[in-house]
Amino acid sequence: MPEALIRVENVTKVYGSGAASAAALSGVCLQVERGSWLAIMGPSGHGKSTLLQIMGGLDRPTSGQVHLDDMELSNLGPAKLARTRARAIGFVFQFFNLLPHLTALENIELALWFGGKRSDEGRARAITLLDSVGLADKAHLPPGALSGGQQQRVAVARALANEPEILLMDEPTGNLDSTSEADLLKLLGSLHEHGRTIVMVTHNLAVAEHAQRVVHVKDGRIERDRFSGD
Amino acid sequence: MNLPKLVWRNLLRRKGRFIFTLGGVAIGMAAFVTLLTIGQGLNREIRRQVQDLGANLVVTPKGWCAYEQISVLTGEQLPEAIPMSDVDKIRGVPGVKTAVPYLNEKTAFRNRPVPIIGVWPEAMRALQKWELAEGRFFNDVAEPAVVVGSAIAKQFQLKPGDEFTVRGKVLPIIGVLRETGTKDDIASFVPLPVVQSIYEVQGKVSFVAVQVEDLRQVDAVSLRIQEKANVAVVSDKQLLASILSIVGTVSTAMQAVAAVGVLAAAFGIVNTLLTAVYERRREIGILQAVGSTRQTLFAAFLLESGLYGLFGGVLGVLIGLLGAYVFGPYLTDNAFTASLRQSPVPSLDGATLLWTFALSEGLALVAGLYPAYRAAKLTPVEAMRYA
Ligand SMILES: Nc1ncnc2c1ncn2[C@@H]1O[C@H](COP(=O)(O)OP(=O)(O)OP(=O)(O)O)[C@@H](O)[C@H]1O
Ligand SMILES: [Mg+2]
Repeated sequence: MPEALIRVENVTKVYGSGAASAAALSGVCLQVERGSWLAIMGPSGHGKSTLLQIMGGLDRPTSGQVHLDDMELSNLGPAKLARTRARAIGFVFQFFNLLPHLTALENIELALWFGGKRSDEGRARAITLLDSVGLADKAHLPPGALSGGQQQRVAVARALANEPEILLMDEPTGNLDSTSEADLLKLLGSLHEHGRTIVMVTHNLAVAEHAQRVVHVKDGRIERDRFSGD
Repeated sequence: MNLPKLVWRNLLRRKGRFIFTLGGVAIGMAAFVTLLTIGQGLNREIRRQVQDLGANLVVTPKGWCAYEQISVLTGEQLPEAIPMSDVDKIRGVPGVKTAVPYLNEKTAFRNRPVPIIGVWPEAMRALQKWELAEGRFFNDVAEPAVVVGSAIAKQFQLKPGDEFTVRGKVLPIIGVLRETGTKDDIASFVPLPVVQSIYEVQGKVSFVAVQVEDLRQVDAVSLRIQEKANVAVVSDKQLLASILSIVGTVSTAMQAVAAVGVLAAAFGIVNTLLTAVYERRREIGILQAVGSTRQTLFAAFLLESGLYGLFGGVLGVLIGLLGAYVFGPYLTDNAFTASLRQSPVPSLDGATLLWTFALSEGLALVAGLYPAYRAAKLTPVEAMRYA
């Protein structure tokens, strides 16, 4: 049994209060093994993004616990949580991942800065990272000058900047044409081969097929959990 | 990547907004600096004029108001209220070294007002250490002739041999004074008895400047003069204090108005930054997802605000100094300054300059507090919900 990198234990998330309150998650339990590639699927508005955000320490659960390695995320103070996000977690969202007024390179340098790298080290590493996603020649372009697929690759490079334990992606291909989607999936595949842990939310079954394991979320609960080859 | 770089990029994103906000700060600070500078220059000029009066005591008629006291310095026309007999009495008071009468009148020369000061030629020459640039000085205590100040000579292109008409009486110009840098440059001087007869105020003068033998005895001498003659006596220090208090009130009021402008500019910064926080909510969320702490966000917005203060302050001081030199003469164009030999030279010392920068920077930082707080308060999820 491979060791669990993330353990979500009985997490509920309630938005709002009183009569207007609505549970986005109700008692979710989920373990993500180190080195695995997990896809989260489910109908719109049923709590996928909420789950991902709570797993990544972007939001706090109303009750329940989230463990990343030996850390209990809901116990961390804001500063510790920010540092954990910087160093141990890499996020990629569906769109508008990059700061529009910084170049591709600077967007990556930003993450390295938050991760505690000195700016000269940061620059060298940012160039390597851009190169690894095949965009070395676009280093000094602003996001607006890049295609959607290229922007997502820069976002992935940025997410990987501080060698995080885990990559959390919310519909990373949701905005891409099929070619860009294939490029990105190839990139994720090679990251997976190199042992990176990946969790991605997607609506696209074909995209989900690339993962080892697919989890279906419905009404704030895990409805179905399927390992490829099952 | 580092904080200044991030902030710098943010600052220049909306160039128009940046420029207008910065312009607000710069203009507010410029107005402040201009008025401060002019005020200080005026202040310095007044001190110099009082010093150049060369008197320890000024004897005036009883009941003069501050404006008349100021006129002593400026050479404005004054009532002729002290009889010559009093001048003689004052000269006899023990402790008085010299007592020099002045009769301040005004004439129109080529349709421009020119002060005519009736003086005792030799006493004046000794007191003011006048030197002649051209021509000669009076030969006689009652010579019907004019010696003009250098600025007057220049303004009307006068030289010895020209004629000067006072109330229909034609007087020859016999000399031009060397520039003194005081109000004497913008006056014309005629022996006292001549002015008295032209203006039909025989036996009267406007005021008397007194030098005492021993400075420690100023107060005693002042009392003795008032015992001997029915006059008021004011020391040069009192004169300075009362003039400065008037001018000071005016410049403080002007500076207060300018400070309101600076304050308005600070609200401009608040407005611009709040808009920026609102516009960048999504980015603030991304920054937090990437690992920014709240402190970093707070610092980023505060620094952005601080830069407005810094650039606004520098620009404002530069524009303000320029404004003081260019517009100073118009802004201070009133009875008092017009009669100074020249417009007060704007002056701003290092300490004031530093305070001005501190004001600009301090206000900008305070202005940045609320927007920075708003940015830091956003939770990542809140911030990310707005695409
Ligand atoms: N900040 C919030 N305040 C109130 N309700 C929220 C908030 N965030 C999410 N919700 C609600 O929680 C529920 C789950 O939202 P979530 O974004 O997790 O859905 P999702 O599965 O990611 O949907 P989609 O596939 O459309 O992205 C939805 O009903 C949503 O309206
Ligand atoms: Mg979602």
